[in-house]
Amino acid sequence: MNTPLISLDPRITRLGLYEVIPETLVPKSPLDQFETYEAFFQKKVEGHYEHTGPVHAPHPELAYLFAKEQYSRRGNTCTGIAVVKTEDIQATAFTDNDKNIYDLIIPRGEIDLSGPVKSFDIFHMKKRGQHHEHVGRVEAHSAEEAIYKAKQEFSSLAPVVNVWVAATEDIRFSTPEEKSFWDTLPLKKYREPLAYKVQGKIDQYKKEHSSN
Amino acid sequence: MNTEALKELLYKMADDQLILGHRNSEWTGIGPLLEEDIAFSSMAQDKLGHSQALYQLLNQLGEADPDTIAFHRKGSSFKNCQFTELPIGEYDFSLVRHFLYDLAEKIRFEMLTESSYEPLAQVARNFLGELRYHELHAITWIKQLGTATEESIGRLQESLDFSLPYALGIFEPSPFEADLIAEGIFEGEEALKAKWLLKVKEVLGQTNLRMPEISLLTPVYGGRMGNHTEYLQPLLNEMTEVVLLDPAAEW
Repeated sequence: MNTPLISLDPRITRLGLYEVIPETLVPKSPLDQFETYEAFFQKKVEGHYEHTGPVHAPHPELAYLFAKEQYSRRGNTCTGIAVVKTEDIQATAFTDNDKNIYDLIIPRGEIDLSGPVKSFDIFHMKKRGQHHEHVGRVEAHSAEEAIYKAKQEFSSLAPVVNVWVAATEDIRFSTPEEKSFWDTLPLKKYREPLAYKVQGKIDQYKKEHSSN
Repeated sequence: MNTEALKELLYKMADDQLILGHRNSEWTGIGPLLEEDIAFSSMAQDKLGHSQALYQLLNQLGEADPDTIAFHRKGSSFKNCQFTELPIGEYDFSLVRHFLYDLAEKIRFEMLTESSYEPLAQVARNFLGELRYHELHAITWIKQLGTATEESIGRLQESLDFSLPYALGIFEPSPFEADLIAEGIFEGEEALKAKWLLKVKEVLGQTNLRMPEISLLTPVYGGRMGNHTEYLQPLLNEMTEVVLLDPAAEW
């Protein structure tokens, strides 16, 4: 049965939608989600990019836009966002906080050195429950070689409980010009609940309307 | 400085921002994807912020305060182009309007960073970061949906064909064009339109969308002179519904 959708919200009524009420059982819809990307956030110029969470998107550029909305609409500063498809990240195992994961990474046999050398970005988790933080780049033939190179270069930053490796070409970083996206972020206090000083008004209202 | 010319320029830019900001805010809560809903709402907020900054400049030139200008004028005093007041329609139309309008907006304020009227140049510089983001957002979607499926391409093309005559109304010449150009306040609507056309064509060239022959289109003028469609007044009624309940209320 189709009936015009009338809502208390005039915007909804204006859309001229119909409410479709099926008269029999219908199959349950499958979960409709885009693939996930991991988003990283740079708080200060020259600061480390830090993992901030996942975002669903159909395309890296859209993931970049969505990550900006989801993770940098509020706050005092942001100078960059980076996104990479989750499946393009290679991860080590986790250790307990007192062990360094790099100590458990031992080169096994021959590493494949065919193919061109490219740049990989390395991210460290220093403690369980913390975010992965960008520590630097290495040049390697593969993610596997990259992790051994990272061991040589970055294992002094121990303890590290987990490492992520991703090819630089797969990561969408903010360009220098895009850093101005966040110039006005500190002015957007109206997006913070704390910007609304309403307690006085609520107290006043309660006083005026109390039954006593 | 020709203050009348400057005020006319400020009013039409500020009214565009207020009206389109309000229109785009109508997607809040009903956008096609949660993240996109937030993005569109955030950009609508930015537009309201821009209108406020421009009304503030008018206030400094002796006009009423920003809230009075925004909420207590009759429809025929508004100088926004008619493009900005059209209903949101379906998302393809709102996206195409966002693309056509925001590209022009970004180029306009880039040009205004060189304005001889320093307070306006300063405001334009403050807007640039946000406008770069709005442009990236618009172009990303047009490229994505303009190359995706038969339906997405067909819908965007239909909205583009419908929108372009209205979009040309953004550049309706002001009676003060010559003064604005001579005094270095603004390079003028014609110069802006030429730059805009290049950019629009460049982006559409990367999609399966077709740019209609511009010289065959009749621009929809009138908005800059206070002539509006039937859609503006209901928008103003809704926008002022709360403030008119208690015009003296403080927020």
